[in-house]
Amino acid sequence: MPMAVSPERPRTGVTRLTGGRLVSGDKLVEGDLWISSVTGHILRSQEVFYEHHVIPDEVIDLKGKILCPGFIDVQFNGAFGFDFSSVPADMNEYQKGLHRLNKRLVRTGVTSYLPTLPSQKAEVYNKVLKYLGPSGRPRNALEGSESLGAHCEGPFISPTKNGIHSLQVLQEAPSGFADMEVVYGVENFGSMESELPGNAGSPISMITAAPEVPGVSACIPEISRRGIRFAIGHTEATYEEASEAIQRGATMITHLFNAMRPLHHRNPGVFGVLGKTEGRDRPYYGVISDGIHLHPTTVKIAHNAHPDGFILVTDAMKTVGLPDGVYDGMNGDRWEKKGPLLTREGSDTIAGSSATLIECLNNFWSWSHASIPQVLRSVTSTPAEMLGLQGVKGSLEADADADLLVLDAVEGEDGQRGFKVEQVYKFGTLVHDASNETFGL
Amino acid sequence: MMLRLSIQLCSCMRWDQQIVPGGAVRLVIREDKHTAARYIADYIIERIKSFAPGPGKPFVLGLPTGSSPEGVYKNLVAAHKKGEISFRDVVTFNMDEYVGIPREHPESYHSFMYQNFFSHVDVDPANINILNGNAEDLEEECIAYEEKIKRAGGIELFLGGIGPDGHIAFNEPGSSLRSRTRVKTLAYDTIIANSRFFGNDLSKVPKMALTVGVETVMDAREVVVIITGPHKALALQKCIEGGVNHMWTLSSLQWHPHAMIVVDEDATLELQVKTVKVSLCSQASPTAFAHLAQYFKSIEQVASSQGFGQALASEEFVLRKRDSVLEKLDSPKIPTAKTFLAPTKPGLSGQITPDLIPDSMHERVEGQPAKGLGLDGLETKELPLSGMHHRVDSAAA
Repeated sequence: MPMAVSPERPRTGVTRLTGGRLVSGDKLVEGDLWISSVTGHILRSQEVFYEHHVIPDEVIDLKGKILCPGFIDVQFNGAFGFDFSSVPADMNEYQKGLHRLNKRLVRTGVTSYLPTLPSQKAEVYNKVLKYLGPSGRPRNALEGSESLGAHCEGPFISPTKNGIHSLQVLQEAPSGFADMEVVYGVENFGSMESELPGNAGSPISMITAAPEVPGVSACIPEISRRGIRFAIGHTEATYEEASEAIQRGATMITHLFNAMRPLHHRNPGVFGVLGKTEGRDRPYYGVISDGIHLHPTTVKIAHNAHPDGFILVTDAMKTVGLPDGVYDGMNGDRWEKKGPLLTREGSDTIAGSSATLIECLNNFWSWSHASIPQVLRSVTSTPAEMLGLQGVKGSLEADADADLLVLDAVEGEDGQRGFKVEQVYKFGTLVHDASNETFGL
Repeated sequence: MMLRLSIQLCSCMRWDQQIVPGGAVRLVIREDKHTAARYIADYIIERIKSFAPGPGKPFVLGLPTGSSPEGVYKNLVAAHKKGEISFRDVVTFNMDEYVGIPREHPESYHSFMYQNFFSHVDVDPANINILNGNAEDLEEECIAYEEKIKRAGGIELFLGGIGPDGHIAFNEPGSSLRSRTRVKTLAYDTIIANSRFFGNDLSKVPKMALTVGVETVMDAREVVVIITGPHKALALQKCIEGGVNHMWTLSSLQWHPHAMIVVDEDATLELQVKTVKVSLCSQASPTAFAHLAQYFKSIEQVASSQGFGQALASEEFVLRKRDSVLEKLDSPKIPTAKTFLAPTKPGLSGQITPDLIPDSMHERVEGQPAKGLGLDGLETKELPLSGMHHRVDSAAA
């Protein structure tokens, strides 16, 4: 009797994405990707096919578009009017605002981020850090973007390189790590040793501080031991001081060139570590490529010096995504937004940025004409590596989280290049489709 | 000039007898491996379509791996993507698999089939059969495989390639022509040939494999073999011009009632071709060449006018024909009026000899009762005499 197979099969929650160009290392390759909306992972398709006889519920033809991991923004202060460091009277409002932000943010292609807090008083950290820790545990695609842990930018930074941080809240760490515990809250440091960010104990993933500020450099080993990244930023450090911080465990530089000493041919400053770091790997470094913070050629030079560490960030303020105009800023300031440019009202001081990550990405691509995989890794695999999440986020390998973007790549004749986000998948579920206005979170 | 040739090696097959199984080994020559692969892919698609498989009636396809069939798979995938063919009701049996490497190893035959075929078409994974080289009991795995083929109804079409030593699947020279699915240790030459896929590191190349046997392949209703490239030319020559021989195991194809070999011109370099040596360079005299070209073109034309005139009709069609023939043989013959044998004088009938009425001797002859002869008690009684025809009826003999 010939074998008969029942045509009715239970739904598996598996989607097969075919016909796209996948980012794989330095190349774009044609291939298929199988994702599960049940587990939220990218599947080992051959194993699932032979071992479990799984057929995808849905086959989606990407028609040659680019398939890449979801973007990760590691410096991001707020958006759509919501500011991580503004504490309302009612913390329920804060939570609701956070949820709304996550749902809107995911449409821009940013599927994971580090909510960033510029220098604040201790009360602020105590109030908000518990809401800003890693939010991906439930693996709920409908929440939208996911926090990978908080980024505390300050208050242990240099008073002469404070940018728009309020001088009143800056401080030193004469008692070492204990001072940090006081400011951020003891309970906000994980008690376990961990390589991974956001272990069960700590909502903080990264701390930016100036290594030359008294007491800070000594804290670096303890911070690393707790699974928290130490980033050098807002600093007057020399090349030697920066190198020493790296020796002690610093692995990141916050918005390179901004709020630090410039490159001098005999005093290369923090930038010098991109050339050579004694004994350790060269660190990762964030770059704001909104076209305002840095000259395009500066970005290109940094990228050429150390492409493996190059991470694009927005340092976006809450005004991103809002229409142009004047808004209340931090610490009683008034800010004026004009497109991506954000200044203190009445002056030229840059108050942060209002560019989205994809705008920054498109700028970088247009300036550098690097290959698509090289451009895209700066917001996917490189930040994932920096955070210790390689193979989990920012990757199209099997078993990684299925946070994916379908991008349209446009290369204009004038040298302008740009990506457009067509679809967004979070944990294997489609959460945004540009061609369908009504679909979404 | 592109020369497309089709040669009948056995002349007992007539073009109009396309439905009767038991014909020739068809040799189809195409210009290069690409056109050869396309021919086979088109043939397979045509066969599946005319078989019209359904959920209870799958088309059982035997499949190979290797560089020769890769082109066939590419063409099948392309046709599927264009919507020309669905494989939803196709059951597949692969020929072989290495022993001892993980199923997901990039060089396993599972991976080859997934990357080249299964991931691009709609074969149901539950309908796929590939030998498991990591089974706990390899012999049980082989026995089970044969049984699965049987339960699927036997293989309708087995596609295969050939090694440079004339082997089919892993049936290396010396394999029994009656062999079935079993574990084989690979020949040293095969291991060397395979090492290019394992980083040229001999220690990484599998030394054993599970393979279908020669007879397993020959049991299929139809066998189609692709042979391309000059390095296969000697094997082709040995297998179709030599005798059936276990040193060139594909030669067992000569015993198959319905086989087809599709080759490119390079693979024919050793053939005598009954014998026509067709050369790509026009070294033969132009006129002789032209005559030959005409001859074979006309064969090809007749063939193509019949469609795939040699396509094997489905088993049920053939069985129905056979059944109707048997029926006719079994039904009693209505005697035909043989008027040419009828006698000219009517009414003549044989006389019946009158019965002899017996009487006993003593009524004819005066006699004394017998006495004093010591015959007391031994009276002879008269035996009742009756005619022979009461005892024996010659008509009932």
